[in-house]
Amino acid sequence: MAHGTTTGVQDAAGPAGATDGPTSGGSGADLGLVGVTKAFGSYLAVDDLTLTVPAGTFFALLGPSGCGKTTTLRMVAGLEHPTSGSITIGGTDVTARRAHQRPVNTVFQSYALFPHLTVLENVAFGLRRRRVPDAVARARDGLALVELPHLADRRPAQLSGGQQQRVALARALVNSPAVLLLDEPLGALDLKLRRQMQVELKRIQTEVGLTFVHVTHDQEEAMTMADQVAVMNAGRIEQLGTPAELYELPRTVFVANFLGQSNLLPGRVREVRDGWVGVDVGGTRLVVPQDRAVSTHGDVLVGVRPEKIHLLPADEELSDDANVVGPGRVTDVSFAGVSTQYQVEVPGLGTLGVFAQNLAGGAQVALGAQVRLAWAPRFTFGLDGSTDASDGVVDLDRA
Amino acid sequence: MTIAAALGSEAAASGPAAAPPGTSRPGRRPRGGAYLLLAPGLVYLLLFFVLPVVALLATSLYVPVPGGDVGQFQPALEWQNYASALRAFWPQLVRSFAFALVATVAALLIGYPMAYVVAVRLRGRQLAQGLLLVLLVAPFFTSFILRTIAWKQILADDAFVVSALKWLQVLPADGRLTATAFAVVAGLTYNFLPFMALPIYASLGRLDPRLVEAGGDLYANGLTTFRRVTLPLSMPGVVSGTLLTFIPASGDYVNAVLLGNPTSTAMIGQVIDSRFFRVADYPTASALSVVLMLAILALVTAYVRRAGTEDLV
Amino acid sequence: MTRRPDLPADPVIRALVQQARRERSQRERRFGPGDSGAVSRRSVLQLGAGMAGLAAVLTACGTGGGATGTSSSAVQGRDVSATDKSVYWANWTLYLDYDEETQTYPTLETFQEQTGITVYYAEDIDDNDTYFGKVQGQLARGQDIGQDIITLTDWMTARLIRLGYTQEFDRANIPNADNLLDGLKNVDFDPGRKNSLTWQSGFAGIAWANDRVPAGMRSVSDLWNPEYRGRVEVLSEMRDTVGLIMLEQGVDLAGAWGDDEFYAALAVLEEQITNGQIRQVKGNSYKEDLISGDAVAVIGWSGDITQINFENDDRWSFALPDAGGTIWSDNLMVPVGATHKRNAEELMNYYYDPAVAAQVAAWVNYICPVKGAQEAMAEIDPELVENPLIFPDDATLAKAHVFRTLTPEEETRYNGDFLTAIGA
Repeated sequence: MAHGTTTGVQDAAGPAGATDGPTSGGSGADLGLVGVTKAFGSYLAVDDLTLTVPAGTFFALLGPSGCGKTTTLRMVAGLEHPTSGSITIGGTDVTARRAHQRPVNTVFQSYALFPHLTVLENVAFGLRRRRVPDAVARARDGLALVELPHLADRRPAQLSGGQQQRVALARALVNSPAVLLLDEPLGALDLKLRRQMQVELKRIQTEVGLTFVHVTHDQEEAMTMADQVAVMNAGRIEQLGTPAELYELPRTVFVANFLGQSNLLPGRVREVRDGWVGVDVGGTRLVVPQDRAVSTHGDVLVGVRPEKIHLLPADEELSDDANVVGPGRVTDVSFAGVSTQYQVEVPGLGTLGVFAQNLAGGAQVALGAQVRLAWAPRFTFGLDGSTDASDGVVDLDRA
Repeated sequence: MTIAAALGSEAAASGPAAAPPGTSRPGRRPRGGAYLLLAPGLVYLLLFFVLPVVALLATSLYVPVPGGDVGQFQPALEWQNYASALRAFWPQLVRSFAFALVATVAALLIGYPMAYVVAVRLRGRQLAQGLLLVLLVAPFFTSFILRTIAWKQILADDAFVVSALKWLQVLPADGRLTATAFAVVAGLTYNFLPFMALPIYASLGRLDPRLVEAGGDLYANGLTTFRRVTLPLSMPGVVSGTLLTFIPASGDYVNAVLLGNPTSTAMIGQVIDSRFFRVADYPTASALSVVLMLAILALVTAYVRRAGTEDLV
Repeated sequence: MTRRPDLPADPVIRALVQQARRERSQRERRFGPGDSGAVSRRSVLQLGAGMAGLAAVLTACGTGGGATGTSSSAVQGRDVSATDKSVYWANWTLYLDYDEETQTYPTLETFQEQTGITVYYAEDIDDNDTYFGKVQGQLARGQDIGQDIITLTDWMTARLIRLGYTQEFDRANIPNADNLLDGLKNVDFDPGRKNSLTWQSGFAGIAWANDRVPAGMRSVSDLWNPEYRGRVEVLSEMRDTVGLIMLEQGVDLAGAWGDDEFYAALAVLEEQITNGQIRQVKGNSYKEDLISGDAVAVIGWSGDITQINFENDDRWSFALPDAGGTIWSDNLMVPVGATHKRNAEELMNYYYDPAVAAQVAAWVNYICPVKGAQEAMAEIDPELVENPLIFPDDATLAKAHVFRTLTPEEETRYNGDFLTAIGA
């Protein structure tokens, strides 16, 4: 999984030094949303959203389509107006301001480049509107930042999708906005180019030190790039945190399923003692650290990520402190190079997924083998048992 | 990984999609059959455009049959016909273009906001759009005669519009609206308004609303966004609208006949009509037609060059 | 007597219906060419119909060169009247008694019953020049234009006869033609009426709104009273407008006048246009301006005034000026190439029966050219018997003059200069 790749820039939160880019001194500002609600008729697109994005952060709004993330972004841009609530940028309330009065720029999903203007004039557009001196020179610097200075005189229609995307980025960046908004900017690019652009966007953000708010439905993209991710669902924020926090300790079924994969086992709390919660799962006792459990009584879901699970031969001895289920039968083995993915059917519990790194080269367990599944209790998490365990499972057609 | 490298790989990726050098794509080269498909159109054009124009050119050089009756002419190459026609009727020619120009500008000023409201402000509200479009076109389902007569009654000297304008001192006490250059230009404007508004509507309807949002996002207020984004992008509609208005308006004469006066409103179409049908002076009428055609062609070419809309297609 | 269906009560609808009807009915044509300045159907049809215009150019080209000397080459049509009992008649719109209910022409029905000849009646003509342009090519080649009788105005009749485009009548077949009014029997373009017979006639004179000109008018000069500045309109028909001014200047219209007389009258017209006395120069549409009040006094046609008075409670008066007015006629002719001349003659004979002529006159409201029709009218509509615009008395006729026939050169030059003067 790619979640570890962002750790190197975690400390970039805040207006850290990298402001000597071509846009000279871009410094982001805090973005605050308080109780923001947006209703379209009777439909609540955004429901009482409160959120703070610290200055200089790369912030991702992650969620499936229709979750309200784009509406939230548009309200920040001033393209929609909240039904209630307020929006502040750098401490200033901008709720009543129109789009052109906000220190915010957007990279649109469709890029929205002006077809009648050259690439250079597209980039200079915002600078000219604010009567910035040397607009053209700064626009050229902006093009240099995205490594397209040679295309300055072209029209957008003469550019490839990736080039257009970069021009759109430059057009927004040159204005050194307090907050830069990215609305699924990579959505139209092919997979390989998208990966490269993710890295590139992150580099630029670090370089110019602006506050980026990035809207995406691609959880991997969000985790790769963002310092902070807010997972949205049905107009609300399900959970907010660093990518690692969200992954290691999901607090809702939706997050557990939407970010990566989870094995969720329904059970009932039997005891709470010494910081541990004992849960009866189909007759097996599993323990969850109390501070990793959302609920400590009644029905709960016991969760564990697939890569945390070890497969053990059915007869192997175990230390008492591990969580163990099984035995079960291996029903599927898929080899994926760095790892192998197993499906194990445990009678009474259903099918669990397991990832095993191919440290010893190749799959270690054969199809049809009887195995038990074991993992360290400290990787276990407990969720509210009243939720449908499939909530947030990524629809492959849409992803 | 640099962006340049990303671009390189993208270029490489798009490479195979392009036709490999040295091979031609099947079906691209027109075959004999394709030209055959053109034949009906070409024959039609030849019969109903080229031949009449040639006939018109020839007629414009005819001379009267010596001792012949009214309307009898014989082939000749009398270029003097052009000189004498222009000498006699240049004021009407110039006036035609002036009236057409004013009417075109007026139609643009009236038609653009109409088209803008319908296409942009009411975007997505199809019922309202449909209703307004019908309202825009509906007057043209009624007879031109009835409309203009109704118009003349409304604008008559003793009717309320003129009385009201006189009371407001907009018009002098002996002022009038009919039988004036104003009435002719207003009539032209009115009659060609849909030809102006509809292409602009179509153009604005195709405008991506996100471009307008992008304008606002990039610090342009409503007016600036209109000036810098909406207006330039609707130029193809403006150009076709102005052409569809200006060209027929310069050749129009019905409005001048109905709403004009004998001293200051005669247009070239009126002269061509009267020379052709009443005086049976076919060479003069033809010469004036040719001059009108060439003048419009020249003006339109200059205008289209100037407008430079080919970039927007 | 009701000659038309009742009008709607609503005044606006009523006005529109009346005008539409007038457009349909009116002889915007009558003096034919006099109409480019008018709201004519022709001009409207030509709006945007460039092809029609070009087709006309082609026609003109096709015949322009070869049209000389056709008069001698004109071939008399082969007459199949004896075997084919039919006749084709082209006329102006609303120029024959018509029964709205049965949608038939009563006098035509009677003729068909009496003779067994089927009449194909077509309201084909709405303008002398346009119609001429349409058929000129075939006539020049002596071909059948598909009509056995055509109905055109004096000056165009003169041109057709001059060009040899008509067939000479066998007057023995038209005994009733002797009923033609004496004043119309010897016209300069057709001495002895061998090629044409009058269908209907009318006057051009002066007309005014009774409420605005309570004292009435007696001369063309009365129109130039500064009190009516910008409220005077004159006809775009040269022979009427210039003719009336020439009469005012003492010219004998039918006599041997020349350029001096014509241009002296034209100068008066130009002056009154330039100084703003004359608002517009129009064909039929001056009627709308009278109704709307934009015009208070005009040079106009008697039939028009009769008609708008009929529909607007006699608001206007019409008079021939003391110095005289003009009289015009539309004439029936048999074109070269027509193949039912004998049947055509029989039809003309029928319409020169005073009783039939009176029936037509009661409906069309123009001057009836048939002697004895006035007496016959007593049985149809006694009110109309004494109407001097349908049955003019000798005193009225003495004031009506015919514009002399112009030479082709004069016609082209006068017409062009007149049109230039009126801004058309």
